[in-house]
Amino acid sequence: MNKPENRVDKIVSDLLKGRRLKLRGGDAEEKAAITTAARLAAARQGPQRMNPAFRKRLEQALESAPREPWMTRRVALVAGFGLAAGAVAGGVLGRATEAAHPAPAQRGGPINPKQGQWVDVAALSDLVEGQGKRVTAGGVGAYLFRRGEEVTAVTSICSHLPCELLWNTANGVLDCTCHPASFTAAGTSTNKAYPLPTLNKVYARVTAAGRVEVLGTA
Amino acid sequence: MNLDRPPDEQAVGSEETEKVLQLPAAARAADIALDELELVYAFIYARVGNRADAEDLTQQVAMKAIPRLREGSAASAIRGYLFATARSVLGGFWSTRLGLSEAELHEDLVMAAPQAPPSEARADTVQAILAQLSDNYRRVLELRFLHGYSLKEVAADMNSTVGAVKVMQLRALRAAAKVQVEL
Repeated sequence: MNKPENRVDKIVSDLLKGRRLKLRGGDAEEKAAITTAARLAAARQGPQRMNPAFRKRLEQALESAPREPWMTRRVALVAGFGLAAGAVAGGVLGRATEAAHPAPAQRGGPINPKQGQWVDVAALSDLVEGQGKRVTAGGVGAYLFRRGEEVTAVTSICSHLPCELLWNTANGVLDCTCHPASFTAAGTSTNKAYPLPTLNKVYARVTAAGRVEVLGTA
Repeated sequence: MNLDRPPDEQAVGSEETEKVLQLPAAARAADIALDELELVYAFIYARVGNRADAEDLTQQVAMKAIPRLREGSAASAIRGYLFATARSVLGGFWSTRLGLSEAELHEDLVMAAPQAPPSEARADTVQAILAQLSDNYRRVLELRFLHGYSLKEVAADMNSTVGAVKVMQLRALRAAAKVQVEL
């Protein structure tokens, strides 16, 4: 088994079975034979793309690691994000990179429209405890959650991809429609390993008449 | 918690606008990096020939690249950096597994970043290399690698013995290593 032809054939057999390269020492020609064998084995299988599960793991790693702004304005433009957004993002990033990056869980501050006004969106009696209710207050979309006589609200837009969230009755969470991400009624990401930023809260109040109002826009 | 207190518009109004706008940008950057990593994966797979090693090495490249992405770079710079990292990671892989020096890895280390995923051109290149080998060498590699024959099947096809085919396989691989230019 210690003959070069046996060593190389063991490696070739492993490669053809899709196994890892378990290499052993040898002379330069033997090493060259092994690297060539690896390339021929790859050529046999044609162009390869990442396995979906592996791609997902990488995606999660990329999403979670950079945290706060990790693009310059220039990259935002390259990404086709548009001049206006690039200009705003550029300003944001310039400032944000000066400060310490907050953890995702620290995000999720309330949405505070400049021309905000309280908008009647529902009766308290319409809300069921433990169930989210989608409402719209002008330009602000929100999910309402009732606890006793109090009501809390979070934005209806995912904190990662700007997509609408859907209330998942079975699991009691808000699911993103664009990617596999979910949030609790408090707006926190359910993924502990790769937590996404917390959803922005929305101001909500209950009037004396038992109506629920959300701070939205006209 | 009932958030019923009036908002302080002056204090946080602009901040909210920024948050909304910055999220899609981050998502697009992740998409760019992921698409580039597909190319990196194909590049690495074409050299190590198996999924497990290709995934490990691609992940190493991604982890090394993240700080650079965080600093912020143009998409073209991201690709350049990813492939430079990929070549470095591959160099480390061969060096560790085989004891190959960087000089021996010349081709891997100097190859430019591909502009697109490997295509049929790769298979054509393999055929071109095999075509430069003697009939027996080409036959043994074709049967073994391109058709997936076992040694026994190759021996039967070539009217030879398993032992002889093993030796021929090693010699054929050595010969192919000498003629290959860009595989």
